[in-house]
Formats: sequence, structure tokens, C-alpha cells
Amino acid sequence: MEAGKVFDMNCQEFWNTMPELARHEDHGGHLRECTACAARWDRQRSLTAGLRTVASEARRLQAPARVEARLTAAFRSHAGLAPEPEAVRLPGFWAPVAAWAAAAAVLVALAMFLVSPRRPQLPRRSAPGAIELASAGASTDFEMGGDSAYGGEDFIPLPNAAGIAPNEDVNLVRVEVPRSAMIELGFAVSAERASEPVEAEVVLGADGLARAVRFLDE
Amino acid sequence: MTLGTETDDELLIRMRSGDEQAFLALYRRRQAAIYRFALHMSGSVTVAEDTTQEVFLALIRDECGFDPERGSLSGYLFGIARKLVLRYLERGRSDVALDVEENSTWPELAVNDDPLVDLTHREGIASLRRAVSALPRRYREVVVLCDLEEVDYADAAVVLGCPIGTVRSRLHRARALLLEKLHQEKNFRPAMGAWKPVRCLT
Repeated sequence: MEAGKVFDMNCQEFWNTMPELARHEDHGGHLRECTACAARWDRQRSLTAGLRTVASEARRLQAPARVEARLTAAFRSHAGLAPEPEAVRLPGFWAPVAAWAAAAAVLVALAMFLVSPRRPQLPRRSAPGAIELASAGASTDFEMGGDSAYGGEDFIPLPNAAGIAPNEDVNLVRVEVPRSAMIELGFAVSAERASEPVEAEVVLGADGLARAVRFLDE
Repeated sequence: MTLGTETDDELLIRMRSGDEQAFLALYRRRQAAIYRFALHMSGSVTVAEDTTQEVFLALIRDECGFDPERGSLSGYLFGIARKLVLRYLERGRSDVALDVEENSTWPELAVNDDPLVDLTHREGIASLRRAVSALPRRYREVVVLCDLEEVDYADAAVVLGCPIGTVRSRLHRARALLLEKLHQEKNFRPAMGAWKPVRCLT
């Protein structure tokens, strides 16, 4: 803007362009001619200086390191890269993502188990959900007993599945499978009901592999 | 060319091809401004943290379709952050004044004698910060973007989805409101001078 035009400005025109002028400290001649605007300008300059100080003080603020850790894990997952060796805790909205991933893993593991030939076992009692994460980290409820089971919880250990270490974190995932899957574990299932869905709870070890199962609706 | 000298757009291209270091460089370059914007706008460190995370998750997933023709990556990130913060504010928070969390990282607020002369001192800064937080949302966001984060008016117009003239006029009005609030506080204070809050009973 030419200096002559600045001199020709009225107060309204001057303040209409104020933001740019304030930023570049190039207020031209209008202020020398208008004491009201000059006083107002001084106040604006004080305010601008104050805002700069506020901005300067806030420069130290940044997102906590945990955000970067979570995003790095998300990026690796999205890009199909191998996860970092150390497990990252996933609080807040990440929990459902982890739950669904665990549920998917258990479905695969369960499917692999069910399609392979097994020796029938004694039928076990059972009793109820789509895929639902029932609990996490409740390792003490699912410790492998010496001779059977998972603390009287009616869980049937899956053949060839590894045991659960005493302090191992486990997940309990609820899934829906064809009733015919029960046959593989020694349950009697009529031919008419073989294709019906049945709900089951599956214990996942810390490695995400299925360890035991119980059917919720015999 | 090193990661430090690459432009945002170059880093983004590498990031989209799976380069984790490019993503980290981009994140480290832009996260603080996004975090501060959300913090200034919401007054909540929790919202600021969640917003920062969501913004970069959206970038990872390419959910909002960044188009370099329409503006800078920085402006695009601010735009996502703004939407997220507004969503939070619309969930029941007042548009006029913000409740600052008790565990907020902001220093204690205090009142000074001359709000303008003392604006570079700690108490004056606290008063000014409080005045910014008390601005109506549409004025607060333009002050935070243009005055605190030094986003240029063109980018701010893209972020706010309004013409650049509107950015100017809002900024003008916002500064006038800030001065008004600082003077109101100054005039109000003598009547309160002899009182010290001990406990809130309501």
C-alpha cells in the first residue's frame, strides 16, 4: 500500500485493514493525524504484545509421549508393519479395537481347531452373545488346574492348546459358532440342529491363541 | 534431503507409502500446534490429547481426503481438530466461557491492576488468557489460530470455512472484546479486593 493512500484513509478504512498492519507494524501516517486512533492503536499494540507472550508461554505445551506411542502403533498396524516388541497399553477408545482384533483372532483359532480331527471328550455343562469381549486381564479365573480345568468355570481345554501360566493375562471373548462345532468337543448334537448357531466363550492366552472354550447354550 | 528439511507434502507422500519415520517427522512437526489449539479452544488437557490423537489417526487412515490444491496440510489438520473440538463443545459446554480443568497445565489465574500496561507480566498474561478463554467460540478460534498459532489469514479462512474478510472482521471484533473484558475485570476488581475465596459452597 502506498504511503499517500494511508494518509488519505479515514478511521474506518484504517481499522478495516488493522490486522495486517498490526502484524507488519506498518501503520503509516493515519495515526500521526488522528489522536483517537493513535490511543486505540497503543492499546492494540499492548494487546498484541500480550497475545504474543501468551503464545510464547504456550510453546512448551505439546501432546504427551503416550499419544505418539499409540499413533505409532496405529501407523504400523495400518501400514502392515510388524508391531514393536514391547506391548503398548491401549486405553480409551483403543480398547474396543483391541477387543475386535482379539475376537477375530479367536474366531480364526477356533475355526482351525474345529476343522481338524479331534478325539471326542466327555460332554461338559455350559449356558449365552455376536462377538463380545466379556473381560480382560482376569487371569486368576482361568488358571489351568492340574487335572482339568479353569477353576470350575466349565471351560473345556482345547486339545493341543498350551497351558496358561499362573500370572498370564488372558481375555475372555464371546463368539457365535455353528452348533456342529460342539460335536468336536464330545457334545451330542442332533442333525436337525447342527446348523443352528450357539454362543461360546473362549479363553485367549496372552499370545492371542485360544486355550479353552465353554458353550453357553446347550 | 533429510526429514527435517522435507516439506509436509513430501513427508505425507512418504508416509502414505508406509514410511514410519516420515510419519513421525510429520507428527513431531505438527502435533504441538494441534494440541495447543485444542487446549486453547476447550480448556481441557484431556480433550486436547484426544483431539491430537484423532487428528493424526484421521491422517493415517486418510479419512478426510487431504487435497494439497485446497490448502496446506497444517490447515487441513487444524480443520479436523476444529471439528473435533466443536463436537466436544456442542456436547453441553458453554460457548461463552470455558471451565478450565483442575488438572489443567495452565498456571494459576490472577488479576492485575492495569490490564494493558501489565500484559507482559505473569498476572497480566493470566488475565489475558482467561479473557481469551471467555471469548465466544467464533472469536476465540480466530484469536487462537491467527494470534496464538500465527496461522495466516488465508489458511485460517480455509480452516474456518469462511471468506478471508470474515477472518479479518472477526479478529478485529475479537481483539475489541478482549480489551473490553480486560477493562471490565479491572473495574470489577476493587469491589472484590477485600474478599478472599475460601470455599465454594454451591
